[in-house]
Amino acid sequence: MMAAQAAEPEKSVIQIFTFSQEPDWDEPWNSSPVRRATGSGFVIEGNRIMTNAHVVSWAKQILVRRFQDSRPHLAQVSFVGHDCDLALLEVADESFFEGLEPLPIGVLPEVRSVVNTIGYPAGGEQISYTSGVVSRIELINYVQPGNRNLLAVQTDAAINPGNSGGPVMMDDQVVGVAFQGTPGLENTGFFIPPPVIQHFLKDVQDAEYHGFPQAGIRLSPLINPAYRQYLKLENSNLGARIDTLMSDSAKEFLREDDVLLEANGYPVAADATILYEGNQVHGGIAFSQAQHGSKVPIKIWREGSEIDLELPVYVNYKDRLEGNQYVPPKYFVYAGLVFTPLSRDYLTSFGQNWSAVAGIGLLYELFYRKNTEPDKARSEPVMLSTVLAHPVNANMEIRGRVLVDSVNGKRIDSMNDLIDAIESHEGSHHLIEFGERLGFECLDREEANKVNAQILQTYGIQLDRQL
Amino acid sequence: MIRNFRYFLLYSFGLLPLLMLKAEPEKDLWANSLVQIESTRHQYEFFQPWSRRTASNNKFGVVVEGKKIATTADYLFDHTVLRVQKGGRGSWYEASLHWIDYHSNLALLDIQDPGFWEGLQPVKFADPVPVTGEAKLIRWNDGRLETRRLEINRLRMGRSALSYIDLPQLELDSEIDGVGWSEAVVYGDAIIGLTTSQSRSKCTAVPSFFVEEVIDQVKKDQFRGVGYFNFYWKRAENPAVLDYLKLEGGKRGVIVTEIISIPGHETKVKPKDILLKVDGFDIDIVGDYADPVYGNMMLERLATRGHWSGDKVPMTVWRDGVEIELEFELARADYSEEYVPSAKFDMPPEYLMAGGLVFQPLTEPYLRSWGSEWQRRAPVRLVRLKERRPTEEDPGCVLLSLVLPDSYNLGYQDYRYLVLDKVNGVKITALPELKEALDHPKGAFHVIEFLPGETVQKMVLDAVQLKSATQRVMFDYRLPTDYFVGSGDSEP
Repeated sequence: MMAAQAAEPEKSVIQIFTFSQEPDWDEPWNSSPVRRATGSGFVIEGNRIMTNAHVVSWAKQILVRRFQDSRPHLAQVSFVGHDCDLALLEVADESFFEGLEPLPIGVLPEVRSVVNTIGYPAGGEQISYTSGVVSRIELINYVQPGNRNLLAVQTDAAINPGNSGGPVMMDDQVVGVAFQGTPGLENTGFFIPPPVIQHFLKDVQDAEYHGFPQAGIRLSPLINPAYRQYLKLENSNLGARIDTLMSDSAKEFLREDDVLLEANGYPVAADATILYEGNQVHGGIAFSQAQHGSKVPIKIWREGSEIDLELPVYVNYKDRLEGNQYVPPKYFVYAGLVFTPLSRDYLTSFGQNWSAVAGIGLLYELFYRKNTEPDKARSEPVMLSTVLAHPVNANMEIRGRVLVDSVNGKRIDSMNDLIDAIESHEGSHHLIEFGERLGFECLDREEANKVNAQILQTYGIQLDRQL
Repeated sequence: MIRNFRYFLLYSFGLLPLLMLKAEPEKDLWANSLVQIESTRHQYEFFQPWSRRTASNNKFGVVVEGKKIATTADYLFDHTVLRVQKGGRGSWYEASLHWIDYHSNLALLDIQDPGFWEGLQPVKFADPVPVTGEAKLIRWNDGRLETRRLEINRLRMGRSALSYIDLPQLELDSEIDGVGWSEAVVYGDAIIGLTTSQSRSKCTAVPSFFVEEVIDQVKKDQFRGVGYFNFYWKRAENPAVLDYLKLEGGKRGVIVTEIISIPGHETKVKPKDILLKVDGFDIDIVGDYADPVYGNMMLERLATRGHWSGDKVPMTVWRDGVEIELEFELARADYSEEYVPSAKFDMPPEYLMAGGLVFQPLTEPYLRSWGSEWQRRAPVRLVRLKERRPTEEDPGCVLLSLVLPDSYNLGYQDYRYLVLDKVNGVKITALPELKEALDHPKGAFHVIEFLPGETVQKMVLDAVQLKSATQRVMFDYRLPTDYFVGSGDSEP
């Protein structure tokens, strides 16, 4: 069996067709036209197909096809990890897996070793094979979430659109899942290595995907001899400084200016890296290897002494608005005023030049305020995204793309706050304040309530809210 | 015959000059009133604040009463040498600044050499200025007086070229290139404006009545600076807003939305006030008043229409359901009253270098080092600080702008654009405070803390070695001084 598998791993490589529809973040009840795309996947133990999360994001229908078999089979997502860009598919028709051997997951390949990719990239219909060497291994930004750095392997093997989700093989074992490239750079493809794949598979064993946890700290290099002396630490290459405590767990167990000497058994170098499987990578990997809610053993240096601790680590869900999300956008429509959370997804709907269009105010609110002014930060900033014209709102000077500061005197920290402030108000007018020199607007409450349903009907909006 | 011949000769030699004179009187008028100005200036490099280059620009000015040259203030800042030339060619005469105000974008020059003034005539300023029709742009071009046609578009309020306040501007249409160097805009025999900028076919000019008003104040030694209304307002076009504010007596006025706080300035209007009258003029729902001379003008004009900073302007506002009369004290336009100053003219960039760490006050000229799209390209955290208003406790900020690598600062080479919070436990809002704080280390160390949210929160330096490291870095990187603040003797 193994010999047969070794000779023909391509039999277990699956072609995936998706028909997807993304939401319109500016008018959140609308969706983009249905888009057809292809990707790759491979069969793993338990009659499951592994692929990339981005292959199946927003899919309305997923079809899978076996090697040299034109019959499409319906598939559905059983688990998806957008933070690690991995997904598992199941196929209702059990016969789909007949005769297919699961591909075994191997170990992290070494740099300079030769790997082969198998998949269905653009440029042809048939399966395609490429090979290349492992160029380097380090933490990189995963484009799917946009705000997560995880371990990835760079190779010069060609990885093209359509390869996504396909296996990268070495010695008949999967050593990676092809997932992204770098625009403008030649011969640089990236694949998701076994430690990340195994973490994902272990995570879903309890039938719920949590994600990759973080230590909730910002590490800073501790190279300057004066700083080391100030912390009573010998002038060596060991230990990085904990500069900022970000999570509640970190605040409970650690202090700023603690020095991280060891994390999860790995010595931490002064430049905040660890030697991981022969690769010098950022120390953050020592924490993301753990599962959500588990404790990571660490050794720190505090006030001249070494201390051993167990630091609980958790997945950070608080920064979801700053990354790409894969849930339909929240919205609330009242008297033609469309409210939706401020998010990266929303801002990118402004177009290719979105950050310039958004302006400093919105960028600051979304990406910076929580760190610079945590007391003033909002958990879910709310935008007045647009105003659907109607006589009740026609004289409003502000027509959208502005942050809502307060409604009827209540500060707006979330969509729920907004809806409550509008629906619980009993005064004659609604007062909506925007800040940032934009002032405020008012609506006649009785008039607004009277025409609300009519506006929804005029603009073809089925529901006044999606939360 | 002879008589006839003589007559013919007289006709030939006498009438031709007469014809020329008739054709050229206007040119003579402006040739004797418009001068060329050469301004040689320092250009500072804020990423290396001790470094400077030199640039030279030519612009124009007009002769005014009292043997002065009036021109725009633009491109006179940071000058090293000013020279003027009359007649578009010939000798250059040394000039000096008699007076300059960057907010109003106007300046007066002195020329000591009496020979310069020979044959020159003061211009006549038009008041009122025409707001429609055809005007001319006059400038010297390669020894020739160039006269080009302009179409007057309108008189409006617009952002002053070197300031954050709105001032009256004459908007003109033109097909000419390279306008905005204080060329004279004339109508008949009078000046109606001095150009300030050009954007495609639109030119702007500071109107003559404003030039005249300012010069008059300067001559009387009464110029107190340009005043402005330190609040934002919005139009009152939404009847629901006026209903909410319980305004009686029909739609009118504009709504105050935000006060620009200035330490020590009592701003008597409040957010959600409806501004009904300013200086006796009714304000309509788009923020205009009916100017007796120029028709509808934005209310900002009323801060400069016969008023200067510190003047009290009567206002009528609608507040909490009643009409209130109040006196609004005009704020003075002053860069030093901004948290991140829009400009710091006539002085090199300030800095302090300690052990290779370069500290600078955060200013808009520093942010402009990122180029014309600085608001997009400069670090968001820094650009955002432009929105902050100063308080007595927190009037400004200082940043670690770069590190000049040295063995002393090993490990910190990549630190930059970090805004200081405290040094050795002392809050830092200006360079002198930083200098003082560095004189008081915490034991053997200097502890430098940055504002929350910066990419690094803290760094520590060896206090004992700081002085020698600073000297070494100064030598290695050829810095003329390790500390420069203000425009005094310590100028690098």
